[in-house]
Amino acid sequence: MDTDRNIQNKINATINSVETIETVRVSPFFKDKTMQRLFAEKEVKQSVWSWFTPKLQLATLVCLVVLNIFAFSTMNKSTYNENVNQFAETYGLSIDTETSLLN
Amino acid sequence: MEEQDFIDALKAGKQFAYGKLIDDFQHKVFATCISFVPNKEDAEDIAQDVFVEVFNSIHKFKEQSKLSTWIYRITTNKCLEFIRTRNTKKRFGFLQSIIGNDIPIDKTSYFTEMNHPGIILENKETSETLFYAINKLPDAQKIVFTLHKVDGKSYQEISDIIEKSVSSVESLMFRAKKNLQSLLENYYKNEN
Repeated sequence: MDTDRNIQNKINATINSVETIETVRVSPFFKDKTMQRLFAEKEVKQSVWSWFTPKLQLATLVCLVVLNIFAFSTMNKSTYNENVNQFAETYGLSIDTETSLLN
Repeated sequence: MEEQDFIDALKAGKQFAYGKLIDDFQHKVFATCISFVPNKEDAEDIAQDVFVEVFNSIHKFKEQSKLSTWIYRITTNKCLEFIRTRNTKKRFGFLQSIIGNDIPIDKTSYFTEMNHPGIILENKETSETLFYAINKLPDAQKIVFTLHKVDGKSYQEISDIIEKSVSSVESLMFRAKKNLQSLLENYYKNEN
């Protein structure tokens, strides 16, 4: 019985100990250190990507899309026969251009 | 300067605005941090991380709550993140000791090694036990108990921070006290 009461007293004292905690002030250099960290990080970020503005990003994207569309349409225009003829001409396999030593 | 102009200046990344923000909030943010993490150096590091987070995420601030509430929400999350990381490191250290790795490990229990200048020597032991017990509570109860009892915030302020009704906060507080009672009871029974 006494032990239980003793334990309960200890529990109450522990929970009530929170009331005795005094306010702690942050160290005097906290502001300077934080400001330095904030604006040092910002400068690093700016120096790396500052030249690549959103306008430039959009222009690059448009260029890439246009280039892809152009390449795709050019590929579709050329027919199979054209490709075969071009290949044959390149490697001297074309009948028209073939020359015989016997003629 | 009105709050809207101040927020606009923060969003524009103005240095004077951040200077004012730190002047206004450094002690409050630090007080919340040291309530969760009873170590002065760690609490200062977390407080610094809070301001860096504000700086990086101010464009995400939708102004649906007060700026102070948003900052306290970030503070609470940063503290819980810190505690979680420390607990994970401790578990990893324990595993290392089992598999016989030679990497030195910190075998001490973090929340019993306090460096809280606001706790007088006479109460150091009981405060250590209390912080140890608070650390065992589920996150929601831990937040409510710490913000109300240790940091001294009202139920309304806590309700705004955790985005729950005041009655939910009261209910969490009731459960936190009940759980603390049984945790401490077990602790003192085992001690005897």
